[in-house]
Amino acid sequence: MRKRVVITGMGGLCGLGTSAAEIWNEMRAGRSAIGPISNPALHDTRVASGCEIKTLPDHGVERKQLVAMDRFSLLAVIAAREAARNAGLSIDETNTQRIGTIVGVGVCGWEVIEENYRAILLEGKSRAGIFSVPKAMPGAPAGHVSMSLGLRGPVFGVTSACASSNHAIASAVDQIRLGRADVMLAGGTDAPMVWGILKGWEALRVLSPDTCRPFSADRQGLVLGEGAGMVVLESYDHAVARGADILAEVAGSGFSGDASDIVAPTIEGPERAMRACLADAGLNPEEIDYLNAHGTGTKANDQIETSAIKRVFGDHAYKLSVSSTKSMHAHCLGASGALELIACVMAMREGIVPPTANYREPDPDCDLDITPNTARERKVRAAISNAFAFGGTNAVLALKAV
Amino acid sequence: MADQLATEIIGKIKEHAEPGDEEITVTTELTSLGIHSLELTEIIFDLEEQYGIEIEMNTVDAWSNLKNVGDMIEAVRALIAKKN
Repeated sequence: MRKRVVITGMGGLCGLGTSAAEIWNEMRAGRSAIGPISNPALHDTRVASGCEIKTLPDHGVERKQLVAMDRFSLLAVIAAREAARNAGLSIDETNTQRIGTIVGVGVCGWEVIEENYRAILLEGKSRAGIFSVPKAMPGAPAGHVSMSLGLRGPVFGVTSACASSNHAIASAVDQIRLGRADVMLAGGTDAPMVWGILKGWEALRVLSPDTCRPFSADRQGLVLGEGAGMVVLESYDHAVARGADILAEVAGSGFSGDASDIVAPTIEGPERAMRACLADAGLNPEEIDYLNAHGTGTKANDQIETSAIKRVFGDHAYKLSVSSTKSMHAHCLGASGALELIACVMAMREGIVPPTANYREPDPDCDLDITPNTARERKVRAAISNAFAFGGTNAVLALKAV
Repeated sequence: MADQLATEIIGKIKEHAEPGDEEITVTTELTSLGIHSLELTEIIFDLEEQYGIEIEMNTVDAWSNLKNVGDMIEAVRALIAKKN
């Protein structure tokens, strides 16, 4: 029998708050943190709305490490430290080689790229900043988390656009199941509120001019946000042996590739990922009480995701609670799955389904119970969290209560 | 006695050090500065523009030979002398 893997700690920060507890309080209250962007370094972008972290918490990261980090690395380190504290994890010489980290990243450290182009092309500087390469690389957050906490087990970054967190978490679960580590810190991060990135998204014309209204007939697109989420994963036996508080069990994961189009999603890809996830978890569709949707708020995604859910869950599709918390924390790209995992874990622990905020008009193509605007009390035995991405790289996680 | 070059380099190092650090002198060990080694390298590169010198220096080689602030100053001084 394969090893059971459980979650024993969580950390996160995004527009909703700078700890997992704050994020959950806001989600439960159905409050959206989406609003006008205040970052003055956005120059001439026409992107009006976003979801920024207005003030970072007092993080205590020492200056020597800070100068080598782009914002996405710092966010990951803050979330990872919180998760480790929350799990009561002590890392020392006796266990450091058995603890690792995998951090999902959808973009990269773009602030330094931006600074360099501006300095060289506009200000006439002759060379790039010396930290350009180590700041920008998508593996940097994993490296910084390992340095910050002293983790000497498996350490690497994972990238699959908007599904990066889920791939990272599933991959970390595998490290534990394969015996390569006893404990893994996993999640995702991204800090895309940067001019160059926003111009790219602006060109795609998928951004909403006001806010994110998943599944609502009048939805106009997605909203970008920044953030990071990290969880502490460990084998069930390891958690029990050290007397850790077990928050939930990662029951399984499912993956698929659309192999169709770099941006347009299919119904079949998401459908196969959800089916694979349920099979891996050994769960029947009827056992799932809550589904945290990918729910980006674009016309195509929400309609296609609804169809895929119906194919997988049949009649039960109308009985399970669905919601898109992106309506509140926006689409934090590589961090999305990890932030949404906080929603799933807390939904199970408190018996409260967080809502889809900003909902206004029913859409006949999105006719599931998407928990409009107000949280719902409901016992959640098991939950699944969808993440689909550009590139057709789909990853779904299943959690169950312990 | 610190000469002008030394004063200037120490001044630049101070801008990058944690405020409240002990006084920085030519004998201060580079590893005790609390400054990332790449950041120290960048301080030297900033001098390229200032003195019109080309510092042909591989970062790794440089740091294996420099131990304290004085070594860093002398390395730059030698390059300036070579140029003249």
